[in-house]
Amino acid sequence: MIHLIKMAFRDLGRNRRRSFFSALALGMGLSLLLLMASVIEGEVRSSMDLSIKLQSGHLQVRSLTYDEDKHSLAHEDLVADPESVAAQVASLEPVQAASPRLYASGIITVGEETAGVNLLGIDPDSDTNAPYRDGIVSGQYLSADDREGVLIGSTLAANLGLSAGDDISVMVNTANGDVDEQPFTIRGTYATGSPFYDESTLIMPLAKAQTITQAEGYASTIFVLLKDQDQADAVSAALKSSQYEVLTYRQMNALLSQIQGMSNGYMIVLYLIVLGITATVIINTLIMSVFERTREIGILAAMGMRPGRIMAMFFAESTLLTAGGIGIGLVLGGLLVMYASKVGFYIGKFGIEGMLLSDRIYARLTIESAIALIITAFVVSLLAALYPALLAARLEPVDALHSGN
Amino acid sequence: MLLYLRLAWRNVWRHRRRTLIVILAIGLVLALMMFYDGIVAGFKTAIYGNAVQVLGGNIQVHAAGYSEKIGQSPLLALPNAEELVAAAQQQPQVAVASRRVITSGMATSAEGAFGVSIIGIEPEKEQAVSLEAKKVTAGRYLTAADTDQIFIGQGLADTMGIAVGDRITLVGRDVHKQMRKRTMTVAGIYDIDMPEIEKNNIFISLAEAQDLYGLGDQSTEVAIMLHKIGEEDAVIKALSPLLGDSETQTWATSFPELVYALESKGKVMNIFSTIIMFIAGIGILNMLLMAIYERTREIGVLGALGMKPRQISYLFLLEGGMIGLVGLAFGVLLGLGINLLLQQGGLDYSAFTGLTEYTALINTNIYPSLGLEKIVQRAVVILAVALICSYYPAREAAKNEPAQALHFV
Repeated sequence: MIHLIKMAFRDLGRNRRRSFFSALALGMGLSLLLLMASVIEGEVRSSMDLSIKLQSGHLQVRSLTYDEDKHSLAHEDLVADPESVAAQVASLEPVQAASPRLYASGIITVGEETAGVNLLGIDPDSDTNAPYRDGIVSGQYLSADDREGVLIGSTLAANLGLSAGDDISVMVNTANGDVDEQPFTIRGTYATGSPFYDESTLIMPLAKAQTITQAEGYASTIFVLLKDQDQADAVSAALKSSQYEVLTYRQMNALLSQIQGMSNGYMIVLYLIVLGITATVIINTLIMSVFERTREIGILAAMGMRPGRIMAMFFAESTLLTAGGIGIGLVLGGLLVMYASKVGFYIGKFGIEGMLLSDRIYARLTIESAIALIITAFVVSLLAALYPALLAARLEPVDALHSGN
Repeated sequence: MLLYLRLAWRNVWRHRRRTLIVILAIGLVLALMMFYDGIVAGFKTAIYGNAVQVLGGNIQVHAAGYSEKIGQSPLLALPNAEELVAAAQQQPQVAVASRRVITSGMATSAEGAFGVSIIGIEPEKEQAVSLEAKKVTAGRYLTAADTDQIFIGQGLADTMGIAVGDRITLVGRDVHKQMRKRTMTVAGIYDIDMPEIEKNNIFISLAEAQDLYGLGDQSTEVAIMLHKIGEEDAVIKALSPLLGDSETQTWATSFPELVYALESKGKVMNIFSTIIMFIAGIGILNMLLMAIYERTREIGVLGALGMKPRQISYLFLLEGGMIGLVGLAFGVLLGLGINLLLQQGGLDYSAFTGLTEYTALINTNIYPSLGLEKIVQRAVVILAVALICSYYPAREAAKNEPAQALHFV
């Protein structure tokens, strides 16, 4: 075995330039794929993180009949006595924080302009709402007993030309199917990193949101953050009751995983095409070396080397070449990924309710995808060696000895 | 020159297998590029065709200052709407020109509340060209005389849990900023297979909209439908004396996001495909290096016969370029084949429709084009890379010293 590898190594060294270029081709292909995989991973991961932070949390406890697309405020669709439910959930060991939230649809009016928004009532003091508290870009955060103040997203503020201190009028739907309108003052503007979210969400203290929507003593959902997200299923099982529906972040972000699955499918096709192209370079290199060494192979065969062993020699050569290519690919790709994870790609406003995206995507390479790529590259390159190896093994010793050179 | 071409061409085919493998690689690269271009073109057709229909015609005219408030649909009356409509109707390219009132509002039922665009239309005019009017699944389209009737999409009907004959509350705001609330009856439901778009629009008659929102006999938009996409500029030019400082928008400018998304993806793809082409180019490089080594003696003979080093390197550049050309030809065939195959069934993108405002416009499978949109650009890249990769071996070949090369066995 060692003998084979030694021979393969020397054979590659006989035409250093060619071997280097072949490995470089593989390295270029691999680094390109590493970059693509890491950008997609980064996109999905950041979308998931944003969603957990802002929209879904790790778990939500809702009424069995609640439909999040409808923002229903009918009392039977809401969670009654949400504070005590939240306190009960928060008392569980793996739970970091839990607080009630109330959702409604609203329209903001300022001067001649109107904009549709999602109204979100929160408990300003809960840790679950830290992203808004820490995301304040101008003005102040809310206090729980504020009856006239709201927070608006920075994108919406910019669209409507609003800043902290301005007055707006807010129209919302109420529990009895009617509509109510009240004046509010903007206490502050916040930025969450998702332009879509910042354009569509108006925040007010839960107590005020309950009053204006006539849903006193009710909340749409209990928003739960866990200390460790892997505990989601366990906690969900523990909370399960006939009274409430408990959803994990995976269930709530189903669209995201669907899109991820689809783009993974396309990526695999692309992987195979790129690796297929690098494979042609390897095939050609090995075919050339079979022809250069026809006489040599003839001598080896005449001296009693079995076809299997001749094939093994070429496989060893291809393995070494691939190892070199992977080395180059890891260095090149590593540099690219490092750059992309520091600087990121600007993608602008892109995203919807089911899939929040920040305006900049940072690459993120997981060990799993790196290993998967390396193994794929290895397998493809070994397959590429099959044809040249067969060619070599099939040479007739006598003919091969007579060939020129 | 002809002699060089013949020499190079014969050299290309001296090792058939080798050459074919390199050509295969180049062909794969080009086919990949054409596949991508075809999909992008397919996307554009799928989206733009529907965009024109669903977003109110090829051209929209609004009052000056409207676009500063875009997205919020201000009730900004267009001064000479009637004149404009009459003038537009005179144009041969125009199918229908009609007035509209668009404002944002909220629809509420017992199930909940939804932000919507309320669109007042002239049903008798739009009926002939409206996609929605053709796809009525229950009830009927609007008539000019309708007062408290609404026409909605299946998507909204499903989310709100309502059917024809049911009543909902429609809330908006008039020009004096007063809240206007009215109970409306669902007159008809249409289904254009775009639930995300359907959820956002409620149609009422123009007269009802003018009355509800205090516009008198004014309107906020003139929508112009053309017989054919692409004649927008000519029509705008013909109407220009009447347009004054009004703002005109065509369906293409309404979707800057789409253009941006496609362009930025296109740029990334350009870079990626060039890198992939360089990988294939390494195949050419290795092959030519090998050829030079094999033909050392031959090159020596050519040199001894008086061929200048520069001419020898031309020979190898030509050889590399020819391989690129043949690869190109093979790639075009392969790419055409793939795209033709995909055109049979189309690709299912329905999972993505909720992704952005514009992907919501996709209501069928995506059918790729043949992918020849950027073929010239793609071909230039491939040939350029092939030549760049042959440069190094060509220079090597020219360096051979004839006397030594002749002695090489």
